[in-house]
Amino acid sequence: MREKETTIYLGPQHPGITGNMMVKLKVAGDTIVKAETHVGYLHRAFEKLMEQRTWTQSFPIVCRICVPEPDPNEENLARAIEEIEGREVPERAKYIRVMVLELARLATYGLWMGGQSGSMGLYTMPQWTIGDRDYILDLFEELTGGRVYHMYIWAGGVRRDLPEGFTDRVLKTLDYLENRLPDYDNLLFNNALFQKRAQGVGIIPKDKAIEWGVVGPPLRGSGIKHDVRIDEPYEVYDKLNFIVPTSDGCDVWSRALVRRQEYEQSISIIRQVIEKMPKGDYYNKIPNPLTWQVPPGEAYVKTESARGEFGYYVVSDGSIKPRRVHVRGPAYVHGVSLLEKILVGANIADVSFIMNSLGTCPPEIER
Amino acid sequence: MHIQDCTENTCVDQIQKIFHTAEVEIQRKKRVKVKLRLDLVPLFLSYARDYLNFKHLAHISCVDWIEENEFELIFMLWSYEASLMIMVKTRVNREKPEFITLSHLWPQAETYEREIHEMYGINFKGNERLGEFILEDWEGVPPMRRDFDTIKYSKENFYQRPGREDAQDVRETISKHSGEEVPDFAKEFSIRRIEE
Amino acid sequence: MTYDKNSKKIVDIIQNFARKHSLWILAYGTGCGAIEVPPTMTSRYDGERFGLRGAATPRQADVLLITGYLATKTLKRVIRTYEQMQSPKYVIGFGSCTINGGMYWDSYNTIKALDRYLPVDVYINGCMPRPESVISGFIKLQQLISEGKANGAEKYQKNLEWYRENQKKVIHNWKMPDYNW
Repeated sequence: MREKETTIYLGPQHPGITGNMMVKLKVAGDTIVKAETHVGYLHRAFEKLMEQRTWTQSFPIVCRICVPEPDPNEENLARAIEEIEGREVPERAKYIRVMVLELARLATYGLWMGGQSGSMGLYTMPQWTIGDRDYILDLFEELTGGRVYHMYIWAGGVRRDLPEGFTDRVLKTLDYLENRLPDYDNLLFNNALFQKRAQGVGIIPKDKAIEWGVVGPPLRGSGIKHDVRIDEPYEVYDKLNFIVPTSDGCDVWSRALVRRQEYEQSISIIRQVIEKMPKGDYYNKIPNPLTWQVPPGEAYVKTESARGEFGYYVVSDGSIKPRRVHVRGPAYVHGVSLLEKILVGANIADVSFIMNSLGTCPPEIER
Repeated sequence: MHIQDCTENTCVDQIQKIFHTAEVEIQRKKRVKVKLRLDLVPLFLSYARDYLNFKHLAHISCVDWIEENEFELIFMLWSYEASLMIMVKTRVNREKPEFITLSHLWPQAETYEREIHEMYGINFKGNERLGEFILEDWEGVPPMRRDFDTIKYSKENFYQRPGREDAQDVRETISKHSGEEVPDFAKEFSIRRIEE
Repeated sequence: MTYDKNSKKIVDIIQNFARKHSLWILAYGTGCGAIEVPPTMTSRYDGERFGLRGAATPRQADVLLITGYLATKTLKRVIRTYEQMQSPKYVIGFGSCTINGGMYWDSYNTIKALDRYLPVDVYINGCMPRPESVISGFIKLQQLISEGKANGAEKYQKNLEWYRENQKKVIHNWKMPDYNW
């Protein structure tokens, strides 16, 4: 007998939904027949506001586009401006930027591990990982003055040099995080419960992954080796040794494995950066920020963030304000068209599980 | 053309061989810029996808060039094999902006089109999900158009809490309260702002 | 329940004492401030020491934490959520953008002063506020509760027309059920 279809509105107020968005589900029994994403609850009109602000005033805006991981946004805008203007960035600044980006990646993965396990009812994990993430936020606070939003990476370099003894403290934190990994493994990754829940759920087929515009860990979880850090190296990623982990399962489990391995890779990248970091300038001074005109031009720059590829399309018409800054976040595709596809056939209980594995983040869908 | 040999230069040659009217240039390493007539764009995109192997649609963007009475549509395609990005640019008339949907080529194009439709009012023929996407009950000019004044709108529609006026330029306030002198470059700016 | 300023009954004191130690926060991340709620609630800052914990649905929740700017689309949902909550209920405005619009002062899609639309008991400023300041905001709320001053819900009930008028100015298409006040 065919079961009667019912409509369920999951969100915007729902503890399992990652952020303020809504998924309208048509279900037959417990199985989802049709899913429709509704977004727009967080629309702040950033792209319009940036047209009203000067170039430097845009930096505090872009970092608010992605709340868990603001640094790739700043780095992207800075690099786009540098590309249009042809501004050189000192070598030391590039290394510092990579360090900040990778620390942000570690912090995001900490948050992700908490969210992923929290969405299946394993509440010990968030207590650990979000607590550990705070040590990285402490480092950020010392370096930039802000826990969550940093406004640290600017056009021409970074805002200020590393404080004295900062790298030692970074290394100490890395040691701590690395020692915590076996604990995480025992609780989450070797947990039979998690494996049973995650395997075979939320499948992105390998042959469809590129066509559907999947990026980041979900793409690598479908067995395609693509990483902006390798394919189009920015900053100093071409001088560093790291591998891009992939996994062939195409499901939530393989995405988790990819992220788990990337966690180790990030730790190793930061160690290399600290080892190789040259001395010297950290900032190529921009002219008076209130009258700073960027020459006409356009640039499209990409960054590999923890959740996937960030793309910034920046246009300047030669005035003191940006003509257009258009942001393409990884969740833009993951959270709308992809989610609608892969939710079909899943259970209601798996919705927040799958959303977490895709790294859906509504603020970057609507901005 | 063999996919592995696709570099910036061969890509440019290949495109120019087939699309004579296209203005092709290498913007920088890994970026090829193609300017095309509007009606050729769908043809070009499916050609790039199927023959040049640019399988990944990275971005669709729109810029309002109100001075020229045109919208510019920008499509970014990425090739995983060649690690190369094509930027396809075209202009749409601002009076009656219309284009056709690309959702049959890339399913995620639908989302971009819905956003551009809502923010700029460009009609993508064939896209069935155009309509309310991000905004709710929006009336009037699509908000991302240059002629929409967001400051005026927010002043008219929202209650603004008083007390922000003197905090517009923190430097002025500080100098007023503590007698500290405003630096020269800031003086220049505040004069200009008042004139605006 | 009504409070008479002159006579504070012993029942009220006991009630308020109980209420202030079990503040259940509605799990609704309305804005970007939601990122500082997990650290507040987890091992490092441990909000549960103060009786703070999450509640899944509006019916069970005591505190509506407005974590940041409200887009007009969200405001509609927030008002509905707030009206579904049962008394006693409190609203905390979290972040500068709930106070005066913050950096979104000229945005066409966000409201600039939360207390025009919902009765706010405590504001926590900062962008974003640290977990310590979130906790201190909650302690302030506890103080107000024990003094019997956190009566935003009553204010809302009394001035419902004024609030409705403001709400309808922003939300053009008002299709909401009228709850029984």
